[in-house]
Amino acid sequence: MASMALAPAWKQMSWFYYQYLLLMALYVLEPWEWTVFNSMLASVVGMALYTGYVFMWQHIMAILHYFEIVR
Amino acid sequence: MANPGGGAVCNGNLHNHKKQSNGSQSGNCRKNGIIKEDQQNGKPHCYKQIVESFEEPPLHVMVFTYLGYGIGTLFGHFRDFLRKCGIEKCNTAIEREKQRDFVPLYQDFENFYTRNLYMRIRDNWNRPICSAPGPQFDIMERVSDDYNWTFRFTGRTIKDVINMGSYNFLGLAARYDESMRTIKEVLEVYGTGVSSTRQEMGTLDKHKELEDLVAKFLNVEAAMVFGMGFATNSMNIPALVGKGCLILSDELNHASLVLGARLSGATIRVFKHNNSQNLEMLLKDAVIYGQPRTHRAWKKILILVEGIYSMEGSILHLPQIVALKNKYKAYLYIDEAHSIGAVGPTGRGVVDFFGMDPREIDVLMGTFTKSFGAAGGYIAGRKDLVDYLRANSHSAAYATSMSPPISEKIITSIKFLMGDDGSTQGLQRIQQLAKNTRYFRKKLSEMGFIVYGNEKSPVVPVLLYMPGKVAAFARSLLQKKIGVVVVGFPATPLAEARARFCISAAHTRKNLNTVLEALDEIGDLLQLKYSRHRKSMRREPYEETSFELDD
Repeated sequence: MASMALAPAWKQMSWFYYQYLLLMALYVLEPWEWTVFNSMLASVVGMALYTGYVFMWQHIMAILHYFEIVR
Repeated sequence: MANPGGGAVCNGNLHNHKKQSNGSQSGNCRKNGIIKEDQQNGKPHCYKQIVESFEEPPLHVMVFTYLGYGIGTLFGHFRDFLRKCGIEKCNTAIEREKQRDFVPLYQDFENFYTRNLYMRIRDNWNRPICSAPGPQFDIMERVSDDYNWTFRFTGRTIKDVINMGSYNFLGLAARYDESMRTIKEVLEVYGTGVSSTRQEMGTLDKHKELEDLVAKFLNVEAAMVFGMGFATNSMNIPALVGKGCLILSDELNHASLVLGARLSGATIRVFKHNNSQNLEMLLKDAVIYGQPRTHRAWKKILILVEGIYSMEGSILHLPQIVALKNKYKAYLYIDEAHSIGAVGPTGRGVVDFFGMDPREIDVLMGTFTKSFGAAGGYIAGRKDLVDYLRANSHSAAYATSMSPPISEKIITSIKFLMGDDGSTQGLQRIQQLAKNTRYFRKKLSEMGFIVYGNEKSPVVPVLLYMPGKVAAFARSLLQKKIGVVVVGFPATPLAEARARFCISAAHTRKNLNTVLEALDEIGDLLQLKYSRHRKSMRREPYEETSFELDD
């Protein structure tokens, strides 16, 4: 039952992945190059998100502290 | 097609043409409001308004295209590094050990591109076929085990693939049937080879018959035929112009024209594609300033253009160019490789399309490969021009002349088109081609694809832009048993990869509908419908007779 519900979602996800491969011209590369590119992209995006999380959290705390909403 | 009538607008006067960026228009020639019905008897149909479109894609498409090429380049450098280190086996040509210190041969961009980008999707080109290139053909199936470095044939053939890539505009390139009986007879009498050049022992009576027929077909004084279309351009332009002459050539001219121009030794200046304002500016400069250092007048000014440009699908703006040439006293050379037999109400090329007099063009060149189902080229014009070429052309002096069965095929095709065998089938084919072209282009732009070119040109480029989509498009269509030609860099600009469809008169409505359905599906799957001028599927309110704006 759960796999039936997931089937259209899975289809949609694989369509999105196909579009991503086409847009980035990864479609023409070999599968191991996909792995290399995806891992590099995931690490860059992960680092950006982590940096964003760390700095935004600190800045938000500083702003709230300035406006004396939180002590 | 509505007749605008009025010969005055068609004889080389500059008439206003509107370049519209809308996808399609009804092509109605009623723009002046007055239609001179009484002048239509005996006057050829004039094409008064040029409707062509070269739509710009949305910005994100260009961004992703360049991004895709950037990623491809990065991975190309990475793979080159691996090959140099020896981690990966190098399958391309490299210099020998002894030559490692010489100037590198394979480091330029073209080789880099071939090794790293073209090779990966190489299975979409050079596909061997094993039948006549009619509306349907058979392709040999081949697979690659090592990502397109080597191929092997599985032994099977893919049968009845719809052919949207062959230059078979009138459907005359077909397998043997009864109408080709004369070719068999000629083969029995003359054999296949000529074994000589035109100037030595290679001029046959078949060539004379063919040349007279070509001159009659084009309505000019004389013509000369050559064995190869590319060689016609590249070997005859050097005979016509030389040092001290000026060649003004369109920026998108074919390689044969460029090669002929460079071989001639004349000065070459390039004008923007189909842009008569730019051409006029260059002509003015040429006439005023003359040759570069001495400022003497140019010996000859030759304008090199094509009838239909095969990568863009655009048709030459002939009336403006002829008006310019008459004003500035230059000579005009038109390469009608794609347009002869394919445009014009009687199929006589771009001159017929605009209803102009062929005597206004100095050199008419064309090939027999595209619409006549044969091979070879011709040059036609005034008798003294053709007589000069018979004596001075490099092709006449050194190249083998046209094979007799091919000459007979062209004779049969031209007679068929002119209706000499008593039937109107030739004219019907030309009209069928025009109908197919109109239908196909209209449907494509309704679906939302970006289609370049003139609305009446049978060469239909559909823009794909991204390198990944180029490969996916060609492969998906082959799986649906449709064969198309996709073109990328270096034949087109880097960011404008396209698929080029060549409509044929032999395509039935069913074939075209199959192709259109497949294109619709693949366009949705690959997200190729970039056009912003897509017509809505809803019927427009003013098409109905009563003005009730419902909904």
